[in-house]
Amino acid sequence: MPKIDLDFKKKLTRVEYADFLTYCYQCGACVGDCPSAKLSPAFNPREIVLRVLLGLAEPLLKKDSIIWQCTTCYTCQEVCPQGVRPIEVITALKNIISAQGMLPDSISASVGIIKDTGRVVLVSNVINKRRTEQGLTELKPVPMDELKKIL
Amino acid sequence: MKYAFFLGCVIPTKYPQFETVARKSLPKVGVELVDVEGFSCCPEPWNFKSYNIMAWITIAARNLAIAEEAGLDILTLCSGCFATLAEAHHILEDKPELKDEVNKRLSKIGKKYNGTISAKHVVQVLRDDVGAEQIKKSVTHPLEKIRVGVHYGCHVLKPSETLRVDDPADPRILETIIEPLGAEVIPYAERLSCCTGACQDEEMVFKFRYNKLQSLEEAQVDCMTLVCPACFEAFDLGQVMLNRKSEKKFNIPTLYYVQLLGLAQGLKGEEVGITRHKIRSPALLEKLS
Repeated sequence: MPKIDLDFKKKLTRVEYADFLTYCYQCGACVGDCPSAKLSPAFNPREIVLRVLLGLAEPLLKKDSIIWQCTTCYTCQEVCPQGVRPIEVITALKNIISAQGMLPDSISASVGIIKDTGRVVLVSNVINKRRTEQGLTELKPVPMDELKKIL
Repeated sequence: MKYAFFLGCVIPTKYPQFETVARKSLPKVGVELVDVEGFSCCPEPWNFKSYNIMAWITIAARNLAIAEEAGLDILTLCSGCFATLAEAHHILEDKPELKDEVNKRLSKIGKKYNGTISAKHVVQVLRDDVGAEQIKKSVTHPLEKIRVGVHYGCHVLKPSETLRVDDPADPRILETIIEPLGAEVIPYAERLSCCTGACQDEEMVFKFRYNKLQSLEEAQVDCMTLVCPACFEAFDLGQVMLNRKSEKKFNIPTLYYVQLLGLAQGLKGEEVGITRHKIRSPALLEKLS
């Protein structure tokens, strides 16, 4: 028997409107124009929203979850007649995966670089040399003491 | 027109040629770029937002607060930075309780975001604040006979309710600022499709990009142009990677919009940095000379 979590939808972060999912009436407009759904029949934004509504989201909450096939293109959000924001639901699910320490390795690495240096690309001497060659100033380190305090 | 120049991470580190050409070409249309100290990663709206949305909006608010202290709106060349900063601004205005919570965190470093500035993508500044006329006046070497395929990407347009740049189903903003340069904008079937930078499935990414490049090739463009460094990576380095896996080999050069602007203002191919790109086209250089 699948595990049903009746309160699951309340666990989604409300920072960015994931809570609009209760307006979903399952019309499937989000699927028709979804570029990922076109190439991967297993990826279905309507079904992702339904699983969250029914408290059946557990299979989506893992490192190799189907939700990582999302391109974050926001097309689903544009076409939804009910103002549901499937991407924000997917992002909220990703946040739950992240809190459980299960982000895919490439994403975890990219997040780590930002948390350590304040930028998503490591600034090396080679980069600064290339900048000065092009008449640009060297990049200064990001004030990490400030970032650490606010996180 | 003065703006705080928000560099972001990818352009100043991997593609400084876009920053160089922006610093040369934007003043020619009356845009003054002001360097403000202390900005961090916007932070990027795919991976970092997936990690923790509260951390994402807090860092974004710190960046917005820095520009606000300087009394300037933000200008960025990057769709990712734009999406993060514009969305964060919108959410904080829409949710006062969240704004209070974020400002409580910012108070630990003596900062506060009041919401008095906005973050703009360079294409918005060029269409709305500069205008096509002014762009045209700066052109000394019209890009006549250059056939350009436009790649919009996603994050300069969507979510449209928040970003309010153009209609994502039929955008015109890039055409509006390319036409004054004298180039010919060529429609093609996959014009609005995504670069798939955020998709974690390699096979799908390959198919998406293949379809896009195929469509551009059929439209016989000399180059594609775009306004996001993630999209650029997807179609410059990404095209090399794709060609390694694919029997069919593509050769569609990718130019950042500001490079087209620089060329039309008389800068040479080398000066705008197209000779640094992975995908080079002697035919395009020939047409430009």
